[in-house]
Amino acid sequence: MKLQVAADWVEAPLKAFVDDARAEIAVLMHPTGQVLGQFGFTRSVDVQTACALGAAIYASAGELGRQMQGRPFGVMHYAGKDKQVFLAPVAITGGTLLLLSVFGEESSLGLVQLYFQDFQRAVAQAAPPWQGAESALASDFEAELNRNLAAMFGRG
Amino acid sequence: MMDADEIRLMSDVLAADPASLVFLQLGEALRRQGQLDLAWRVALRGVERHAQRPDAHDLLARVAADRGDFDRARAAWESALALAPGHPAAQKGLGFLLFQQGLLQDAERLLVAAQAADPGDASVANALARIRALGGATAGGRAAGPPPVGPTPPRGSVAIPASVSRPSRTTQALAAPVPFAPTPTDARDVFLDVLPDASHAALLLDADGLVVAGRYRGPDGRDLAADVGAQLSGVSDEASRAMRHLDVGAWTHLAVEAEAASVAMAPSGEGIVLVAAPRRVPLGFVRRVLDRAVERARRWLESGT
Amino acid sequence: MSSPYGGMLAGLIRHRGVKGCLVVGERDGLIVDSTVQFGVNAQTFAALTASLFRKARRAAQAAGFGDATFVQLEAERGRVCAVGRGDLVLVVVAEPRVNLGLVRVDMLKAAERLS
Repeated sequence: MKLQVAADWVEAPLKAFVDDARAEIAVLMHPTGQVLGQFGFTRSVDVQTACALGAAIYASAGELGRQMQGRPFGVMHYAGKDKQVFLAPVAITGGTLLLLSVFGEESSLGLVQLYFQDFQRAVAQAAPPWQGAESALASDFEAELNRNLAAMFGRG
Repeated sequence: MMDADEIRLMSDVLAADPASLVFLQLGEALRRQGQLDLAWRVALRGVERHAQRPDAHDLLARVAADRGDFDRARAAWESALALAPGHPAAQKGLGFLLFQQGLLQDAERLLVAAQAADPGDASVANALARIRALGGATAGGRAAGPPPVGPTPPRGSVAIPASVSRPSRTTQALAAPVPFAPTPTDARDVFLDVLPDASHAALLLDADGLVVAGRYRGPDGRDLAADVGAQLSGVSDEASRAMRHLDVGAWTHLAVEAEAASVAMAPSGEGIVLVAAPRRVPLGFVRRVLDRAVERARRWLESGT
Repeated sequence: MSSPYGGMLAGLIRHRGVKGCLVVGERDGLIVDSTVQFGVNAQTFAALTASLFRKARRAAQAAGFGDATFVQLEAERGRVCAVGRGDLVLVVVAEPRVNLGLVRVDMLKAAERLS
């Protein structure tokens, strides 16, 4: 299965994370839901859904954390019967990104946490300064999202 | 090795003339391809029709040995020698079998005769050298050593090969340097003489977990090498992954003790060598056998096979 | 942190050459308790060794050898041993000079106290 990215700098860190942690699915996104890179999905609509849900969960969890302990929750982990989900913020200059990952029997939470630390370091070094939330909420956001998805799924 | 077309041709000849001696070539070709059930049927039918031919009994013996039926193999070779006392292949085959069973006096007698028939056969020379290194036979004709205890696998599992009770080699014998055996014609026989007895198995796997050399038979004679190799090569992949992040250098040995068997592995070129032994065998001993198997694999690969 | 395994780990790390001992969850690779020398990354050893042990366990069962009880990995500059019981794995990290036989015996005894 191929890794697909909307920006070149995403490829190396995301590939390393997917390979080392043996993730079945991985998506790097902006908290607004804008996707920067993905592995494991075959349809753009699934990526959009995952990003939207991931961003919403992160926002809700953040607010819940603020209500409970005065600061947002960080990493979130859900252990299902066969699959597990890992959602965590990734700090970059000028902003925060989100990594959503799904893994199964070939991996473990410990391994994902371990390789997520490597991923954080790699992204912090490679990512250009984020332009800020304003650009993500700009009127051409939908167009930007569609362009990213088209680039990743080889259309247009 | 014969291709499928050649085998088909010989099958057609045999079908047209069941009394044809082509069964000898056909049976051998099937044996080399690992189609032991078919080889067995061809050999058995051949012996029924040609009971007075020592070649027919020799073929049956070789197939039986590959299937792990050593009692049958021994009986067939003895039949061949009863018909033709100087039959070189039967002398060699039975000689090796008795050697592995620890009946050194009888093994030596047969292998000396085989060597006289073919002085250039280095595998025979090596076997004789090992017999003499073991100090020859005891008064009872058997090598010293405790009687074997076969592994007791968990219910429902497959035991590692232990179809014949054989005494193990002495520690002294294991410490002796492994003579370099000539390139065997069958890659499955590469580790034959570095293993103490039939309860041990060794495989050389490539980087993809595919079997390159060695054999691994279950108690029912089925060839399990591919399955076992694929499962266990995944463990070495995991070890390699771990080493990248643990900062302890490259891995050199990996050992797994399980309920029914102990397995030791070591890198070998781009692949790995693994040795499996019954659980009762001390891990240190398995490790020594592994080191010998690694050396054997290295020499075999360097020989250009 | 106080856990039922503190005494066990303290006993194991007293072996010459042992640099760290951990009790780890086999499935998640997370540390339950640990005693490690300075410079040993406990989280890394925990996650990777638990994964290795789990892999060995599954491979041994699939190959018909039964349940794996002890895994030992030797590398150029160190050794890692793991013993499993239930859903926990006892891990020892050691230098190459460690007396592996002694450590193995003590690990197998200690593992009986894992629950």
